[in-house]
Amino acid sequence: MTSFTIQDVRKTFTNGEVEEQVLNGINLSQQQGEITALVGASGSGKSTLLTIAAGLQRASGGQIIFEGKNMTDMTQEEIRKIRASQFGFIFQSSHLVPFLTVEDQLMLMLNVSETKMSKRAQKEEVMKILKLVGMDHRKDAYPASLSGGEKQRVAIGRAIIHKPKMLFADEPTASLDSTRSKDVMTLIRKLTKELNITTLLVTHDEEMLSYADHVITMKDGLIIE
Amino acid sequence: MNMAWKEIKKSKAKFVILGSIIFLVSFLTFIISGLANGLSQDNAALIKNLPAGHFYMNEQANETYNMSKIDPSAQEKILQEHKDSAALSIQMGFVNDTEDKQHGVAFVTSTESPLFENVKPGEIVLDRSLEKDGIQVGDVLTNNQFSGEFKVIGFADQKKYSHSPVAFIHMDNYKEMYRVNTMQLLFIPGQDQPQTIDGLQSFSIKQFLNTIASYSAEQLSLNMIIWFLVAISGMLFAIFFYMMNVQKIGLYGILKAIGVKTSTLFRMMWAQMFFITAIALILSVALSQGFNTIAPEGMPFSLTMGTTLQLSILFVIIGFIGATLSGLQIRKVEPLQAIQQGDV
Repeated sequence: MTSFTIQDVRKTFTNGEVEEQVLNGINLSQQQGEITALVGASGSGKSTLLTIAAGLQRASGGQIIFEGKNMTDMTQEEIRKIRASQFGFIFQSSHLVPFLTVEDQLMLMLNVSETKMSKRAQKEEVMKILKLVGMDHRKDAYPASLSGGEKQRVAIGRAIIHKPKMLFADEPTASLDSTRSKDVMTLIRKLTKELNITTLLVTHDEEMLSYADHVITMKDGLIIE
Repeated sequence: MNMAWKEIKKSKAKFVILGSIIFLVSFLTFIISGLANGLSQDNAALIKNLPAGHFYMNEQANETYNMSKIDPSAQEKILQEHKDSAALSIQMGFVNDTEDKQHGVAFVTSTESPLFENVKPGEIVLDRSLEKDGIQVGDVLTNNQFSGEFKVIGFADQKKYSHSPVAFIHMDNYKEMYRVNTMQLLFIPGQDQPQTIDGLQSFSIKQFLNTIASYSAEQLSLNMIIWFLVAISGMLFAIFFYMMNVQKIGLYGILKAIGVKTSTLFRMMWAQMFFITAIALILSVALSQGFNTIAPEGMPFSLTMGTTLQLSILFVIIGFIGATLSGLQIRKVEPLQAIQQGDV
């Protein structure tokens, strides 16, 4: 079943009198439980496409259809609600909240997504996800005391704790060494399949492409294969 | 989940620094306010403690009470019309005690009125501060402008004028001492609006206090310091939260990206502001009230709980405005900008 569709998406940046066309009409469909990887050289538009798809910036034209609704027609508040409850984000740097423990990072996401759960049920859910990402033993640790790989595992936990339908990952392994990158990608693949999430990720690491179901190569704002 | 509290717990040092500054500024404001109020009492308790009403002085007196001369016929008419009104005169002077020690006083005389101490010729009632100087009921005091003697018949509380204790004497003695036949002022209590009286200018109590040169100069300077301190504390809040928000732009962007509402981020900042201000104010209120009780006897210091509460509320409002103004940048934060930055 198609759960996420990008139709003829265009993006133009204006710098003074100069207009730069970053995306030139992108079409893309994604199925539930599949990972689609966007690859391409710097400036090809892959990160711009990811952020537009994730509702973090507006497209200049085209449509983004999520669960039958056109996100480009939605208000900022409607998009925020979707980001909070239906989307999960993994960033290049883990971007954890420095003053929250590992457990609190995940609790925060449950609160943001307004999950209807008792406090006790929330804690149990957090522990379940921490076990899933292998971080339950560090639940009381602050981000400053975690390694890069551990931080990224917590970030993944935060991205999926509220059972999102879409997972957006922007270079999730860029700050990790080869072994940890493989661990993180294995984890993302496992969660995508187990939780039936639709994952769109940007990477420039060719080794990571083996974890994706589809690979889309971009160049000059267009999909070339 | 209370993110505001968790941040305070994790970053104790920076919040303790802000709290300490707010504590010091508010404590200093309370102390100066206590001094301003104390000096105000010391300068004009005689006038300040009167009930609401209006003073009248001669139009030609150029708003200077000791140049005023109330026409006796006008005075008689007003006193007849307003039974609770009084005519009074004030002059600075001194009395010599039994040991010939000189004490500076403000001589006050009035027509018969419950608003002022009424004495017979040759009698004197003094402000209680002179009792602490060793003068007792029954003592005989003298003045080189007065042919007779004054017998102390009692003491009155909180009767000060121009930083001097008031000495209530009879009109006949006053007229002899200062070679005058007229009174300087009329006071009519209970008037919301002043009455128009030919040849006389009216003053509310507040307006009359401002005609006392030392009073207005003193209070103006102290009040200016208080308002500066209040403004400084507002700026401190604004600057501190601005710097803290600048540091957290990346974090705010990420939180917005994952769906946190902007209003939640504002509430977090306000909660921190209220928490820090409350702790700082509780400490400074407690210390300033403590100081109120142990202030040296000669120090004119008076800090009421009402004044403290009013200033505390003002600090909270100023802190709220300062923090909110600095927090406006939170609204402008773009999630994308934060994602493109490094770690938060």
